[in-house]
Amino acid sequence: MKYGGANAAVCADVDTYTIPHLLLNNLSKHPNKVAVRKKDRGIWQEYTWREIYTRVRYLALGFIALGLQKGDKVTFIGDNDPELEEGIIAVQSCGGITAGAYPDSLPHELKYITEHSESRFAIAADQEQVDKFVRLKEELPLLEKVIYWDAKGLAHYASPFLMSYEQLMQLGKEYEQRYPTAFEERIATTEPDDVCALFYTSGTTAGRPKGAVLTHRSLIKFGEGTVHKCEITPGHNLVSFVSSAFIGAAFVITIPWLLTGATVNYPEEVETINRDMREIGPEVVSSVPRNWENMAAMAEMRIMDAGFLKRLCYRLFMRVGFKRAGLSYKGKKPNILWRLLFYLAEIALFHPLKDKLGLSRARVVTTGSAQMSPDTFRFWRALGLSLRQIYAGTEAGYISGHEGNDIKDDTVGTLVPGVEARVAEDGELLVRSESMFQGYYKAEQESASAIERGWFHTGDAVDIRTDDGHLVYLDRVKHLAKLNTGETFAPGYIEGRLRHSPYIKDAVVLGHGRDFVSALIAIRYDNVGRWAEKNHISYTTYTNLSQKDEVAELISKEIERVNQGLPAAVKIKRYVLLHKELDPDEAELTRTQKLRRPLVEKRYESILDSIYNGRDEVSVEATVTYQDGRQVVTKTAIKIRNCDERAR
Amino acid sequence: MQFGGVIALDNVTLAAKKGEILAIIGPNGAGKTVLLNCISGFYRPQRGRIYLDGQRIETKPAPERAKLGLGRTFQNIELYTGLTTVQNLMAARQLFMKSNVLLDAIYFGPANKEEVAHRRVVEDIIDFLEIEPIRDVVVGALPYGLRKRVELGRALALEPKVLLLDEPMAGMNWEEKEDLCRFILDVHEGQGAVYPDFPTLRDGVDTIVLVEHDMGVVMDLADRVAVLDFGHLIAEGTPEEIKVNPRVLSAYLGEEVVA
Repeated sequence: MKYGGANAAVCADVDTYTIPHLLLNNLSKHPNKVAVRKKDRGIWQEYTWREIYTRVRYLALGFIALGLQKGDKVTFIGDNDPELEEGIIAVQSCGGITAGAYPDSLPHELKYITEHSESRFAIAADQEQVDKFVRLKEELPLLEKVIYWDAKGLAHYASPFLMSYEQLMQLGKEYEQRYPTAFEERIATTEPDDVCALFYTSGTTAGRPKGAVLTHRSLIKFGEGTVHKCEITPGHNLVSFVSSAFIGAAFVITIPWLLTGATVNYPEEVETINRDMREIGPEVVSSVPRNWENMAAMAEMRIMDAGFLKRLCYRLFMRVGFKRAGLSYKGKKPNILWRLLFYLAEIALFHPLKDKLGLSRARVVTTGSAQMSPDTFRFWRALGLSLRQIYAGTEAGYISGHEGNDIKDDTVGTLVPGVEARVAEDGELLVRSESMFQGYYKAEQESASAIERGWFHTGDAVDIRTDDGHLVYLDRVKHLAKLNTGETFAPGYIEGRLRHSPYIKDAVVLGHGRDFVSALIAIRYDNVGRWAEKNHISYTTYTNLSQKDEVAELISKEIERVNQGLPAAVKIKRYVLLHKELDPDEAELTRTQKLRRPLVEKRYESILDSIYNGRDEVSVEATVTYQDGRQVVTKTAIKIRNCDERAR
Repeated sequence: MQFGGVIALDNVTLAAKKGEILAIIGPNGAGKTVLLNCISGFYRPQRGRIYLDGQRIETKPAPERAKLGLGRTFQNIELYTGLTTVQNLMAARQLFMKSNVLLDAIYFGPANKEEVAHRRVVEDIIDFLEIEPIRDVVVGALPYGLRKRVELGRALALEPKVLLLDEPMAGMNWEEKEDLCRFILDVHEGQGAVYPDFPTLRDGVDTIVLVEHDMGVVMDLADRVAVLDFGHLIAEGTPEEIKVNPRVLSAYLGEEVVA
């Protein structure tokens, strides 16, 4: 694969490389180039490739000294930090296999991953994560040591079970005295087809998460796809804010970083991302649709709060933006008058807005992992951002994405070079590629049913357009729903459109095997709250606010907007404003914020029955799980509402 | 200590030992805050003596006492509400700044160096208390729980040997309390190599005196508890002893009236 002329940063023989080889490659090519930037104590600290290499080397030697063998597993958990990435690469340099848990995993979730992967060691960020392991110690007999990098609060935890990064590196230095070439020798034993990581899928399919097995080759191929589709070059700044437990972090950040030698920037804290983004001004930003939806909603809300003149400006110039986006879809060049207007809009609105969001230098921004509504997509395109869809999965590898100027708002782009795809008779997409996973860890039956004769069953209903080669994602095959009247519809698509509203945080669209389409809606507390304050509507809690008639009126307008774009037979007829937000702590959403449909349908069964039995109110009892695992039961009555008849 | 006809503190003899967390409890109006105010120099008692490290301090003004190693927080948060978090913490470091007004004004040479050194300490405190997101936020705009945390930060910036905390948990929710308890314990224990350049966080604050209403917090944190009632010290001992002390129970629950 080629990486664009002068910027060619990757060796021709990359196919023979493993992840540690990529690190060595960067060391020999540009040892003094800044590899990583991390904000610490309020100042951006820079680390060169040599520094990163040195730390990885001693960490790896430390692991070897601890007895880490090729093929041993290491669980990691923690917020994104350069240290985490160093630890992961160190383990992979030793021929080890990493298994990631999300930083907000509850102890039992962490236990499952550590146990299932048979991890001998664990890498943990700080006291919060170390505490989880300390509590689980007796239940995890295979786990020998937990290594942490942020020692705050841990100074008095004296225990042979725990070890700091500094201690591990010291161990590595001592080991080096005796075996000076141990690190290089170990790297030499790694092969592209060795397994290097397990990624536990969030399990939208219900049940336990499954560990997808990936090799060095598949991850590197995966990353190559990103470099190709996003045109990443060594001079680019990337931002790390997708959790490393999610394969997205590897294929949109880590591997492209290692392949090109670009710079990865780490925000100070999860809460400071917005401000830090402005300071970084990254050229390439990759995020999940939920995040883009949130940012768009936030921007629109702020505008609504602004004065009359600003609102007018916004409305006028957004039209100009939509026009520009529309022209670019069609591949047409705007005339001189429009070009002048674009220029005006850029200085008056788009640039300041993008600057506020830290996107002023962004050349390519991508979205992936879940469906994004065309409305949100158009919003960002209107601002002049080259927003591109990535269609990829932990198991499927990189499938498709937008490229260059070939961007369409209703597709997920064209196939990545080297990927074969075909659509089965039931509409399911099958793919075959080198970036694909090898199967599920310790689940042969599931692996066999997922991969048939080399083809992976994605479970996605996708249409491959013959005229332009673009893929159109419809929904999960099993989520395609059918009304009793025989009409089929894609709930995920409608949900995405609903979520585009600044007032709607989550939506669950239902109707399979029923007479009509209905929706469960969770309002966006901060925006609706602000709207209520502005309109002198008093409220106390989320539950209270969600059941106000005025709020229902507001939301029904949003539903009407969505209904207008739907065929008459599948318009939303009844809806409920939920008394609480959908919450990953209660397993209603996955940690990557995807909806767990079967669980939600089961949990809200009584509400559903009431919707379809024509009742107007239903009393619900909800068990709320706090972050620390405590459970509390709340009881409340919620109203079932009909959509405006005129809308239909 | 007497205010007009009210005797707020009467014959209270109490010592906080090196290395302990001492909690002072008592019903409303028992004189807990008055005691802290006397120690920190906010009030000057009419009679009696106060020693810090064997040195008499009851006649010294508050800033002197701060220099000797007394740091405190207030029940009703006394921060500069118009300044940011960093500015509030830097203001506390003023106590240690030596350069003169002229050099400060042109921000040159030693003044610059000094500012940077103090800012390092302040950034250590910000890191320790996990308040990076509010570094540049004006304190007046912060929610209560965070303000309390900034106030603790300011007390730490004084590099105290003895830390006086006046109802640090008041008005906090359960999660905020848990966070703050952890911070107090972490301050007490010291963080060693995590903060090599800031002795207060590295070695910890030996002695912490805590006025608190939340009995759960007191029982979890304190090594020793002293109980005040109407200006008198009525009991002293470990949390377990205090829990069953009959005088304490009657002070809190009222005495049974025998008809």
